[in-house]
Amino acid sequence: MLPRLVLSTAFVLTGTSVFAATTITRGPYLQIATPTSMVVRWRTDAAEISTVTYGLEREKLTAAAAKGDGTAATKIEGVLTAKAEGVSTEHIVHLKDLKPDTRYFYRVGTGLEKAPSATAEDAPGVPAINTFTTPPLVGPAKPTRIWVLGDPGTKNDTQRAVRDVYYKFTGKRATDLWLLLGDNAYPDGTDTDYQKAIFEMYPETLRTSPLWPALGNHDGKSANSITQSGVYYDIFTLPTMGQAGGVPSGTEAYYSFDHANIHFVCLDSHDTVRTADGAMLQWLKADLAATQRDWIIAYFHHPTYTKGTHDSDKDSDSGGRMNDMRAIFLPVLEAGGVDVILTGHSHVYERSPLLDGHYGKSPTFDAARHVKQKGNGRPERDGVYVKPRTRAAHAGEVSVVTGSAGHAGSKTKPPPLNHPAMIVSYNDPGSSVIDIDGLRLDLTFLNDKGEKRDWFTIQKK
Amino acid sequence: MALRSRSRSVVMLLALAAAPLGAHPETPEARAEFDRLIAEFPNEPDLRLRRAEHRIESREFDAAESDLRHARLLAPRDPRILVAYASLALAREQPEVARQRLAVALSLAPGDPSAHILRARASARLGEAAAAHADYSAALAALPEPSPDLYLARAALPVAPELALRGLDEGIARLGPAAALVERALALELQLGRTDAALARLDALAAGAERKETFLKRRGDILAAAGRAADARVAYSRALDLIAAQPQWLRESPATAQLAAELRRLISPSR
Repeated sequence: MLPRLVLSTAFVLTGTSVFAATTITRGPYLQIATPTSMVVRWRTDAAEISTVTYGLEREKLTAAAAKGDGTAATKIEGVLTAKAEGVSTEHIVHLKDLKPDTRYFYRVGTGLEKAPSATAEDAPGVPAINTFTTPPLVGPAKPTRIWVLGDPGTKNDTQRAVRDVYYKFTGKRATDLWLLLGDNAYPDGTDTDYQKAIFEMYPETLRTSPLWPALGNHDGKSANSITQSGVYYDIFTLPTMGQAGGVPSGTEAYYSFDHANIHFVCLDSHDTVRTADGAMLQWLKADLAATQRDWIIAYFHHPTYTKGTHDSDKDSDSGGRMNDMRAIFLPVLEAGGVDVILTGHSHVYERSPLLDGHYGKSPTFDAARHVKQKGNGRPERDGVYVKPRTRAAHAGEVSVVTGSAGHAGSKTKPPPLNHPAMIVSYNDPGSSVIDIDGLRLDLTFLNDKGEKRDWFTIQKK
Repeated sequence: MALRSRSRSVVMLLALAAAPLGAHPETPEARAEFDRLIAEFPNEPDLRLRRAEHRIESREFDAAESDLRHARLLAPRDPRILVAYASLALAREQPEVARQRLAVALSLAPGDPSAHILRARASARLGEAAAAHADYSAALAALPEPSPDLYLARAALPVAPELALRGLDEGIARLGPAAALVERALALELQLGRTDAALARLDALAAGAERKETFLKRRGDILAAAGRAADARVAYSRALDLIAAQPQWLRESPATAQLAAELRRLISPSR
């Protein structure tokens, strides 16, 4: 500790980073974004005070940075400093009293840290000053882009290709938030796995767009939802008290949040009790009954329908979790007016039409009873899916398995991809993009070659 | 011995990390790779333990037991293996066997929350509520951030409702007004005939909801059931007022229209 303080003094005197003593080894990354608050997290190689300097103008922040530390920054008008108590290598700073839908510039640390440019894959030469935009006020519509990654964490070239295709696709259009559908870091969801598979893979997105993850079975190897302990729970700061909208769940394992006119529901399909009298289902019912948003998007790891690298008809597959999510949770989700259900686990892309009421195994699927609207939901062919804006139970949802952001199924032994509830199925690596503009939702699946393999629209009237 | 074992573990973990079983151990290819690794590192208890856990999940109980037996020979004092043995016994509907294993595991690792939780489940299956309650309480005390499900499981034991309520309130104090805990507490208050306490629980639930009309309807129902008809009508009327203030698209939704019709009927039954 003493040597670091001495070196810090040297920095202030000389204004050069040669003597910087700490290195940012992870992040920054953004959590629990609300219109008026943001949690900023990062890791350093040595313990120090957790400080975030932020403001509305880059120039002022740059000037503050030149002064050398967070204390000096407070002396510049319009530049604020937030600190957490104590010293740590794991930094969690909660910024409050922010303005909705506003771009902020921010810098983490005392200004003496080295950025992790050596390990950052998507943006070498990380700027010391980053930006984020706070979510808009909850309720009114605002065009929103969501990046959805299922089972990304292989750390391999496929994961990189999927990432780069999305970056090219979105270009300068900001990602308002991104979802991880579980199996975020292979093979065991350890801290090292997360470092390579998430923090060194997506540093640019991590520091600019709030991340909302779900727990997968591989993450569950190093985490425990009942005890809320382990790597996943250490790494992420998630709402337990309805801080970002929705009803308090009392746990980070499952939660909900609002963004503009969208309500998101994250479930833990892997490690939380999935029975009808369990806390998660009770919470889900209360949460869905309480929301007023135009759109409800639910996401979790284990799919309700799949014939990809997993088989939702097979009781022994994944310990029966797919059965549970289909038979116990899906009826509640559909009754609660959920519009889109995003899952992973199966390393393929599969997508249903507008469905309702199919809670059995695939032989019981009856298109006449379970398909609310036929067709592929594309404006240029079969027409978009249409739902009433009024919150109606069982008005139909589109189930999307998008679990190939890190790898697809074996090419030598391709998965069957023949679930009758799914009208589009691909054994392609890729990720999904959701754009919501008012009462219109568009989902696009991009493969690792940059091809737009599937798309559909839901329009509410 | 410990050092040798650790370096072997490092080699094994490196091999694991590179192996395709990083995909999904449930798939045949990944399972085959698991088998290959165990053939390569036959004396690695962690590998045996992990395969046993997957086998328990896949309900391959005999194969899981074989792995656990082997693992225990390699690491006889590893409590994780005993906990896995107990999981296997519970999966096989042998709660008494599970309890015996967990007693040993807890003697090796006192206070281990996972062992306490499993033993609580075993005791509950044996109908020994007091023992289960004690183990859940021990686990909850040991965990900094326990899941609401643990509080629910403890409250679901056949114990006095007052004791169950105290346990739920302990959870609400630690975790905040988690919907599942408040709902269960509300049900217990009603069971005890404590109407006002139940209404206070309902208010706690409604505080986190944007659509309070459904909670006011419930409030009215609770009051009506308690014979407080006038108070019930006030609650129903307030619910109708809130519906009238909703945006048109929500006010005209089938569910809301149905609720409004029911509220009007409850306020003026003769209509």
